[in-house]
Amino acid sequence: MNKNLSVIIKKELKRVFTDKRIVFTAFILPALSIALIYSIMGVALGNMIEDREEYIPKAYVRNMPQKFENLISNEPYNDMVDIEKISDDKELENIKEKIKLGEIDILVVFEKNFEEKLKNYENKEKPSIKTFYNSSEDYSSDARFGLFNQLFSRYENMVIGERLGNIEYTSAFNIDIGSEINDLVDEKEATGKGLSFLMPMLISIFLFAGAMGIGMDSIAGEKERGTMATLLVTPLKRETIAFGKIISLSIISIISALSSFIGIIVSFPFSKAVLGGDKDMNLTNLKFGASDLGKLFIIMITLVGIYVGLICLLSIIAKTVKEAGTYITPVYMIVMASSFMNMFSNSDPEMWQFLIPIYGSVVAIKNILMFQLTWTHVLISASVSVVSTIFLIYLIKKMFNNEKVMFG
Amino acid sequence: MIEVKSLRKVYKLSKKQMLKNNTVERKKVAVDNISFVTNKGEIFGLLGPNGAGKTTTLRCISTLIKPTQGEILVDGLNINKQAEEVRKKISFLTNELKLDTHFTPKYTMEYFGSFYGLSKREIEERTEYLFQEFGIDNFAYTKIEELSTGMKQKLSIAVSLIHDPELVIFDEPTNGLDIITARAVMNYLQKLREQGKSVIISTHIMSVASKLCDRIAILIDGKIRANGTVQEILYKTGADDLEDAFFKLYNNVSIGEKI
Ligand SMILES: Nc1ncnc2c1ncn2[C@@H]1O[C@H](COP(=O)(O)OP(=O)(O)OP(=O)(O)O)[C@@H](O)[C@H]1O
Ligand SMILES: [Mg+2]
Repeated sequence: MNKNLSVIIKKELKRVFTDKRIVFTAFILPALSIALIYSIMGVALGNMIEDREEYIPKAYVRNMPQKFENLISNEPYNDMVDIEKISDDKELENIKEKIKLGEIDILVVFEKNFEEKLKNYENKEKPSIKTFYNSSEDYSSDARFGLFNQLFSRYENMVIGERLGNIEYTSAFNIDIGSEINDLVDEKEATGKGLSFLMPMLISIFLFAGAMGIGMDSIAGEKERGTMATLLVTPLKRETIAFGKIISLSIISIISALSSFIGIIVSFPFSKAVLGGDKDMNLTNLKFGASDLGKLFIIMITLVGIYVGLICLLSIIAKTVKEAGTYITPVYMIVMASSFMNMFSNSDPEMWQFLIPIYGSVVAIKNILMFQLTWTHVLISASVSVVSTIFLIYLIKKMFNNEKVMFG
Repeated sequence: MIEVKSLRKVYKLSKKQMLKNNTVERKKVAVDNISFVTNKGEIFGLLGPNGAGKTTTLRCISTLIKPTQGEILVDGLNINKQAEEVRKKISFLTNELKLDTHFTPKYTMEYFGSFYGLSKREIEERTEYLFQEFGIDNFAYTKIEELSTGMKQKLSIAVSLIHDPELVIFDEPTNGLDIITARAVMNYLQKLREQGKSVIISTHIMSVASKLCDRIAILIDGKIRANGTVQEILYKTGADDLEDAFFKLYNNVSIGEKI
């Protein structure tokens, strides 16, 4: 490597890593806040799920049939719901109002003479049940679609069993009974699939965010403070300065992304649910082979190229850090949007997706985690990134040689 | 030796600059066909008011911006074709050039010294000499952010001289300095002259020009209006002192514009 280039890179890295303030704000703080935020989110989500599981809904019932009451007031349902019988239709409106407000979870109204009508089923007259609930309240929808669905189908089975003369006749076959393992999932792929939900987006955003602040400061900031001009009067070639900035910024971006990951890994015991895994997701299942890691590295490093290129280009055009910020913010939005866009797609990737810079790399990372990215995909995605980066570097070199940009 | 031949520099103005300059012209002729030569062992001064084109001229010589027309040779090297070689020979210094205050003077000297192809030893020796010369030796390992403004300025000069250049170009050398630092800087420029270096400065201060410079070019509105020793300029303009001469030339330009 060119000696001047290595001198510049060393100085840029020294500048960043010997500055306690920068080290704290660019590496430690993001890692800490990520660890904290994901832990809190994970714990909160866990509590929420547990809370919903343990909650005993409050239900009001009008015209409750005796058999339904028997069902509900015996094991195992007697502990699962808090039932209040209503004796007057006038109360119904008041209760509906309270359901709206979220104070009561569910109201069940059986038709008058429900059981008699059940007995006269040969008349083809079906009695009906009406439920009132509030879908915007978790407890209410859980009561309606969890517990009461179950109660109604048990009740229906009891009724049909009576008609057939034997409760056994209401069930025709068994599903998945026995000691055999039915879910033939590959633990490795399941874990990968869980992670592939949020991880690619996080990788992409961490890489950009890591380079953003320091990049703006090391180029637009140096222009603003007059230290860039001092470098320009030396015999250095402009290309050397440009490459020095680009390479050191790439290194910084990767280190910063790594530190964000350490934050995620630290939060992992608490944040599995947030990160798309289930409670017993185990990272050790995720046995990445050398070739998977190689793929991930190639995709990430080429993605960093585009990000650093974009940040350098916009910082060099700007006269001040503030101006650079106004140029880079919209690009950051686009990066976030392209990272989010693929979050919910689960279908196999199509070739054309890899041809789109940034978006293609995020798709590629997702598919690496799902163990289904081929080397052809890697090659296409990496080439697209490299070509984009070369184009950006060409523009950056042009800007460094443009006196209007440097001394305008 | 620096030879400036028929130098012309035209800036294209952006919309913003047009507004700022209060003009509808898309172009600004900053330097209009000027020629001069500077020699070894002499201090040459470009004297002119704000906006005369001094900085533009010095930036062209230093290869930071490209002339629109004309030719500049620095010790025979063409600034357009051999920009890096030219920058190796010269030192260009202005108030606007700043050092990263996070580092120490010692590190800063090593950093910049390495771009001139100097060995570690050479850098060390030069640093020691320059630090002594400017009284920086006690602060070699103090962060620049903790230095006084005067000391920072002196360090900037030391950094720009790390490679012992033959040609020293200094835009407004006394700008923003207190009289003590200004005097120190002026003394050092004279020392450089004694060492046989070629020095160019720009200034708008008459006394700096008359005290320091062996020859002066008076630059007004992009053109050289007079060129020579102070004596020669006074003789040509029939003035008593440099300020008088300047205003005579300046009024001529204004009258010329009115006609
Ligand atoms: N990058 C630029 N783009 C457009 N116009 C410029 C640029 N730099 C200088 N000018 C214009 O060119 C003219 C000469 O500017 P220059 O900076 O060379 O003058 P100067 O003699 O150094 O003045 P000062 O004493 O203010 O430093 C001025 O009118 C200035 O507005
Ligand atoms: Mg100037």
